[in-house]
Amino acid sequence: MGALVNFDVAFAIRIAPLVLEGVGHTILVALLSFFAATIIGFFWEMLRRSYWLMRPITQFIIDAIRSTPLLVQIYFLFFVLPYYGVTLPALFVGVFGLSIYYSGYISEVFKAGIDAVPVGQSEAAQSLGLNSRDTVVFVIMPQMLRNIAAPLGSYLISILKSTPLLAVIAVPEMQGSAFDVAAETYRYAEPMFVTEVLFLILALIAVALVTGLERHLGLSTPFH
Amino acid sequence: MSFLEIMHGIYQGFGVTAVVTILGVLYAIPFALLAGVLQHYSIGIYRLGITAVIEFWRSSPAIVLLYAFYYSLPAFGVYLSGIAVGAMVLGLNIGGYGSQSVRAALQALDRGQCQAGLALGLSRFDVLRFIELPQAIAAMIPTFINQAIQLIKGTSLVSLITLADMTFHAKLISERSYNPVGIYSGLLLAYLMICYPVTILGRHLERSARKDGGAREF
Repeated sequence: MGALVNFDVAFAIRIAPLVLEGVGHTILVALLSFFAATIIGFFWEMLRRSYWLMRPITQFIIDAIRSTPLLVQIYFLFFVLPYYGVTLPALFVGVFGLSIYYSGYISEVFKAGIDAVPVGQSEAAQSLGLNSRDTVVFVIMPQMLRNIAAPLGSYLISILKSTPLLAVIAVPEMQGSAFDVAAETYRYAEPMFVTEVLFLILALIAVALVTGLERHLGLSTPFH
Repeated sequence: MSFLEIMHGIYQGFGVTAVVTILGVLYAIPFALLAGVLQHYSIGIYRLGITAVIEFWRSSPAIVLLYAFYYSLPAFGVYLSGIAVGAMVLGLNIGGYGSQSVRAALQALDRGQCQAGLALGLSRFDVLRFIELPQAIAAMIPTFINQAIQLIKGTSLVSLITLADMTFHAKLISERSYNPVGIYSGLLLAYLMICYPVTILGRHLERSARKDGGAREF
């Protein structure tokens, strides 16, 4: 039985710091992608509401983004952009891919957040003489922010959990560091196992932070 | 290579994509129901245990789990095929998400439903089986459809553990002929044709559920 188990615990502990070297990139990529995805998602939602003809077009774009795998979208950007002479560092391609993919989901968050503000609010603002821009900026947006904060928090965690995919285009985040260690030592079991443990810890810390922040803001969402 | 030839090449991998998806669903649904129900009804140390299992599958990224199980299981003397590992990992990952919609749907039920069942003399298990679960499952269906899409899309990850699915075949073609625009647009289109109808169905069910005053999206 003992001969069957070929897992070197001491080696696993020794390489953990090497895998952890990628954590900075993991967090950086996640935060950059989150901000970009939020901005693009808001843009989709504004486009969807702008003009009646834009509604079905934008809706199709959003659905198409949500109906294709993130991995395939990343491959697409990584291999197609250079074909047209656009060569970006892998990290930017990765952030670009993640933010496009999640913008499709975040646009739905904005949609629900805006829809949840009662119609009476904008009617009241208009009857008080506010123009449409002021109605949006001073009446709708502040109330929308409250509605979207919690779902946005759970998408931040989803994005964090999608960053290891960028290892396939050689972004030096944690999964990538694990493959570097594996390639140097010819051992795969320990680096992959260590990455799993470290990512689980990282994700649980992120969940605790986001939940704590929501509780601090007085929002209630038990789901991530 | 013409676009039709590319699409034909990509769909060579459809079988593997479909098999991993179906096996994944067979892991996901029982796990989601069992874990969700247990988490809802257990207390104390048992609840802590089941929550730990759910969080392990749900909070780890699917791709990291996939690599960890694919490369680490042999070191513990467990040899499984790529399809077995892929379906299990993706299925239980999605099942972990599903368990939270099961639990939330059970929590959203009116307590009077359970009390009325008990007052009529049904056992606690019969109340769960005949009264609570049927209502909870009806409320969960839109969420399950959305999670099914996540599973189909997630199967593209098995190309990274050398299974010959659609993504893997696209990469094979790209090694033979340099046409990234055609090949990767074709691959996007291949997944879009499978998932888009399901996306539309999911939204339709969600909207009608909301109109009934029923389910929220979890």
